[in-house]
Amino acid sequence: MTNNKLQVKKLYSLTSEKKKYSFSLPLKHSIRIGKREYEVKLKSDEKFGTYILWKNRKYPVEIVRSRQNKYEILFNDISYTFTVETPFSLQRMKVLNSKMGKAEKEDIKAPMPGKIIDVLVREGSSVLRGEPVVILEAMKMQNEILSPVNGVVTKVVARVNTNVMKDDLLVEIKL
Amino acid sequence: MKIKRILIANRGEIAVRIIKTARMMNIETVVIKTDLEPNAMYLSLADIIYDDTEEATEIPVFLNIEKLIEIAHKTKANAVHPGYGFLAENAYFAQKCNENKLIFIGPSPDAIYKMGNKTIARKIALAGGIPMAMGSEGNISNEEEAVVIAEKIGYPVIIKAASGGGGRGMRIVRKPEEMEKMFIIASKEAEKAFNDPSVFIEKYIENPKHIEFQILGDTKGNVIHLGERECSIQRKHQKLLEEAPSIALDENLRNRMGEMAVQIAKAVNYHSAGTVEFLLDSERNFYFMEMNTRIQVEHAVTETITGIDLIEQQIRIANGEALMFRQEDIKLNGWAIECRINAEDVQAGFAPAPGIIESLNLPSDPYIRIDTGVKAGSSIVANYDSMIVKLIVKGTDRKNAIKNCKMALDKVWIKGTKTTLPFFRMLVRHQKFQDGDFTTAFIEKDIEKYFLNSEYEEMLAAWLATKLFVEENLNDDSISIDFKNGKDMSPWLLNKRINQF
Repeated sequence: MTNNKLQVKKLYSLTSEKKKYSFSLPLKHSIRIGKREYEVKLKSDEKFGTYILWKNRKYPVEIVRSRQNKYEILFNDISYTFTVETPFSLQRMKVLNSKMGKAEKEDIKAPMPGKIIDVLVREGSSVLRGEPVVILEAMKMQNEILSPVNGVVTKVVARVNTNVMKDDLLVEIKL
Repeated sequence: MKIKRILIANRGEIAVRIIKTARMMNIETVVIKTDLEPNAMYLSLADIIYDDTEEATEIPVFLNIEKLIEIAHKTKANAVHPGYGFLAENAYFAQKCNENKLIFIGPSPDAIYKMGNKTIARKIALAGGIPMAMGSEGNISNEEEAVVIAEKIGYPVIIKAASGGGGRGMRIVRKPEEMEKMFIIASKEAEKAFNDPSVFIEKYIENPKHIEFQILGDTKGNVIHLGERECSIQRKHQKLLEEAPSIALDENLRNRMGEMAVQIAKAVNYHSAGTVEFLLDSERNFYFMEMNTRIQVEHAVTETITGIDLIEQQIRIANGEALMFRQEDIKLNGWAIECRINAEDVQAGFAPAPGIIESLNLPSDPYIRIDTGVKAGSSIVANYDSMIVKLIVKGTDRKNAIKNCKMALDKVWIKGTKTTLPFFRMLVRHQKFQDGDFTTAFIEKDIEKYFLNSEYEEMLAAWLATKLFVEENLNDDSISIDFKNGKDMSPWLLNKRINQF
């Protein structure tokens, strides 16, 4: 064993809301609920594709993205994002997070690809949380993009009648 | 039968639906292959495919009147079915078909025009003594006028596009201060969507139910109704789930509303299938909203409880036949529920989720009807609406239909894109939905979480993430993790990586 390796007895799966699930290693193919262990099977066949079999029920699963220790999983049509951490990396993450300063600006990004129909704010406008800032049309629906924060608009990138991709910056707001 | 070959001026699920009935009636169908969907399902079912993939134009062929007429002539079709959306409610298109000796499977251009223009439709309804919400006499020309009229009617009011439909160009205004901004948005939206910026104002009925009546009329002046559909489960005026009949109506109210629907249709000499939409308030007063002069997306629930094929009736009526049924022949049997399974992300406020259908497993139980225009491998393009599957479930009564719907929803497996399935799984379990205690405000007001996930589903997903991590990172021989890539990383970089996802 080299210096680069670390003995691990446990792994944590953290949700984006920082909810923590812990699993002992080696990873068992069962999950304990109360006093009973229930078998979990990851299976795949031609008819259903990949699915998890648990308590006699099939749940469709898809791995949407995985990067480093981050996984986006579609389980029964609901997506979950986890970061898998060892006790060591979890500790380091906590330290890093406490060192981080609080955010001062909010970037409003396009939640989906589409076309900008209207821009409702200008640089210097003050906006309230929940106020629409941009109207984006996608799939025949007009979507109001709302400001998630109270603040002042510092930059307007969105232009009327232009197409945007998912996650393109639309508006910057100073808190 | 005069109608020999129908050009379907549409795509997707409704094109498939029309082909099915045409085939049963021994009528040939022509469909159009476009460069956006060269492998679409509807193409594989038609008798004749017109290839339009070479034409890369800005507007879709389904909106190009001259081109459609030309295609009909080239393929020797003698009738045109517009489906829904696109040109289905375009009076000029119906007119052009008639002028070019093509049988338009739908109402007359005059009826489309009158009911399509909401201001004229209001006047017709008013003259016929149909109950309506108070509103402006005609179109409103500017925001100052809007403020004056709204003041007279009393807030809240709703601004609607005169040429509108489908929820676009509609804005609810609760306070005079909001009027200017909302008027401009509504008018701009109306211009963009319908090529007509004119809007009018109506009293906004708080928390109504959306109840619509299916009607059928022939060219001999006979009009009947096929009962109601309950379409109150909507989000931003987009219907998500429809039922037939409605729990809110009894026989008496059904007859009264049905008679009004028939009366409106007769006022414009309506023939073909049509839908009269009403709002029903908590005191069971009903108000005429609008008439849709086309086949509706949700027509299948009416077909399920009446046993009548509405597309067949449209074709027969267009063929000049008299109605096969009288009002007393229409019997409503059982209960039907339709879920619109859309490619949308319910976890992101129903944002459209275009993509490719990787796999599709649809149930085929006797109580289930599936109407779809997609198969495995189909791409859902952002240019069209997001509906991919209509799941229609039948039951002996409402309770039984909901139970069947619950089972059916777990049997629909769609991979490759997120869908509204988790929303419906939540909805059918919601107490208020089960009790029938809901209005058009239900989704915005009564639902805390837009999707269903059981207590253990997140945990199982966490287990899967952990399993994947173990497979990718742990050595076979020892329980250790290789940190080569992370160990010497600067805290700044690591921090960035953590927050990137």
